[in-house]
Amino acid sequence: MTCDSVTKLIPLYYYAELTPEEEDRVEQHLHECSGCTREMDRQRTLAAALNSRQSGLPPRLLEDCRADLMAAIQGGAPRRDPVKGPWTLFLEALGATFGGVVRVRQPLGALSLIAVGFFAARFIGVTPGREGISQAGMAPEDVFSTVRSVQPDAGGRVQIAFDETRRRVISGGLDNQNIRRLLLAAAHEQNAAVRVESVDLLKGQAAASEVRDALLNAVSHDSNDGVRLKALEGLKPFASDPAVSQTLAQVLLTDHNDAVRMQVVDLLVARRDDSTVGVLQNVVQREANNYVRLKCEKALKDMNASIGTF
Amino acid sequence: MAQDAAGAVGARLGPQVDSLIRAAQRGDQDAFEQLVRAYDQSVLRLAMNLLRSPEDARDVYQEAFLRVYRNLHSFRFDCSFHTWLYRIVTNICLDQLRKRKVRKEEPAVVETTEGPIDRMEAFEEDAAEADPERSMWNRQLKRKIDDALLDLTPRERLVFELRHYQGLRLRTIGEMLGTTEEAAKNCLFRATQKMRSVLGDFV
Repeated sequence: MTCDSVTKLIPLYYYAELTPEEEDRVEQHLHECSGCTREMDRQRTLAAALNSRQSGLPPRLLEDCRADLMAAIQGGAPRRDPVKGPWTLFLEALGATFGGVVRVRQPLGALSLIAVGFFAARFIGVTPGREGISQAGMAPEDVFSTVRSVQPDAGGRVQIAFDETRRRVISGGLDNQNIRRLLLAAAHEQNAAVRVESVDLLKGQAAASEVRDALLNAVSHDSNDGVRLKALEGLKPFASDPAVSQTLAQVLLTDHNDAVRMQVVDLLVARRDDSTVGVLQNVVQREANNYVRLKCEKALKDMNASIGTF
Repeated sequence: MAQDAAGAVGARLGPQVDSLIRAAQRGDQDAFEQLVRAYDQSVLRLAMNLLRSPEDARDVYQEAFLRVYRNLHSFRFDCSFHTWLYRIVTNICLDQLRKRKVRKEEPAVVETTEGPIDRMEAFEEDAAEADPERSMWNRQLKRKIDDALLDLTPRERLVFELRHYQGLRLRTIGEMLGTTEEAAKNCLFRATQKMRSVLGDFV
């Protein structure tokens, strides 16, 4: 094989996209050619640099997307362009007038919903006897509403769909389904203290797949270090589950917190699983924390794997 | 190396996905919601990584899953749901990337009165490293990588993202993009070469 043909195959070799025969030929050439070995090193460095660019999702983005989607579907997502109503025309006119603020349309929309919700709560919160919006006997301060859609019809009437939130206090054991459901929801709350507390309670229930999924989500995406550490504790007994170990590998590569990575590396190396070799090699190349790097190196040696990526 | 999270979840749910699809095709909204939740995290991550803008990623998410909702009745199980979904998602992402090429990509770094701020780092808490030199080097590298990615065609960018970050095989990527494995290989090779030439001293 010539150097020219090997150079062309190096990216595919790195990504393990060659046939076994091609792979053998490239490896043989690399053993004999220092120039192509340097090319291979550059490929590895490029890949490691690109790994550092991968960013997590902004907090709450996933939840917001899910809420938007479900609201669109439940509000009757249009199958084709609908006839434009006065509300749409008004919004379009507003958009045309303030063309420069198109980029902030969503935040403005959210703010307007909050504002509408605020006033709606005051007008409708205590209306008794009306189906769907009645909260007889409820103090108005306990009811909060958010308008999800406004649909005028040709007859001058308007249909408004809104979510109504009422503050309640309930108590119960962790085995109670309602309590667990609320804890799962609380694990996504904006308030970090609520998330820490909820995940702390949920971590003992990780045998249930819905709880495990919530812990996986928290350990991958929660912006708070404490929440991620608590979630890790809950996942410990399930480190051999493929979905858990896959997520832990991702966390080891991307989490910025040393304590989190130290916990994760302990869990991953304890398994001595061949499927983690690639991740451990990757970590050895880029990890700044000595404990994590040495743990990975030792695990690779114990598994008779090379320290570098191939 | 990055894992194919959506594929992994799909594989984990296995036959459960098929029954969710069938139930959703019959109009069961809970089943549709579960189906979305099995795949949406990796869809959003792909859109976010490609477009580097939470607003645009949110648009891609919404459009992709609404298309799934409207067209799920036509899904005939002749390919995996993951491939079918990603065909939709990659089409939308390609459109977005092409539009950006026309209107010139919105820079990730914006100038403010307090100096340049990376829009992506604004929400990455604790992005600053303890070591200021390393932090500076990382920032320069990130900027350079963004430049390198801007140099790719939308298709090269997509193939690269799907292979490097989502860990999909080139054969599957070819299937998703309606092209051959060979064409996907060529795309990946060109993308790698371009990035190496832009990153120069960094790699």
